Amino acid sequence: MPFDYLSMMARRAAPNPPRELKPVSKPAWQPVSKPLSEMRAALLTSAAIREASQPKFPSAGDASYRQVSSDPKVTDLKIDHRSHIGTDARRDPEIVFPRTALMSLAERGLVGGVTPFHLLFVGGIRLYRELEEDLAPALAGELSQAGADLAVFIPY
Amino acid sequence: MMVRVPSPRAVFVDYPVGRTFGRPGASEQHERVLADALACLGSFTVTGQIIDLPHQWEPGGSRLWEAALTKDFLG
Repeated sequence: MPFDYLSMMARRAAPNPPRELKPVSKPAWQPVSKPLSEMRAALLTSAAIREASQPKFPSAGDASYRQVSSDPKVTDLKIDHRSHIGTDARRDPEIVFPRTALMSLAERGLVGGVTPFHLLFVGGIRLYRELEEDLAPALAGELSQAGADLAVFIPY
Repeated sequence: MMVRVPSPRAVFVDYPVGRTFGRPGASEQHERVLADALACLGSFTVTGQIIDLPHQWEPGGSRLWEAALTKDFLG
């Protein structure tokens, strides 16, 4: 049985009430229209990773995003997410942002290609309206403009 | 959490939270998990479906990592 994260999060939040889990109003569904080997892929993660030269993510209440190069040689990355679970990710961001793995799959031909950048933002925030009405459409626009056929979201 | 907040297509990896693709520095593991997740793409039929990947954090399936994770979270 998978680990019960919700109970642990509730214990951590006590005596405050547990975090509200708010489903999106309209889950999106797009049919798969071509094989993976012909798809251009992008990564999205809520780990608040950015290139060192980019503005820092504020500690809370922020619905902005950063474009991070999909080139694994751009290695000067920072993680602004203040999480107790971030020890390993700060040692190797690839465990939540598998940029090198995706590029390797593209080089092997399993994935058709990779967008020039990936999209990153902060998780664990409570700006539900801004997330759905501002951030999500902005990310979708970026993905569309970059010619992405596939977006892999890694929650953090 | 993935059940309560459904996404169009979801793959579950039973690793400690914050280590979705594996251990730091284990690039082959990262690539294997990502490849296995992407290979599920054509198997989804409805929104909200979750496919479990067979990967285990410890080779023998030990769940001792749960105690360490709880300590990380709760101090």
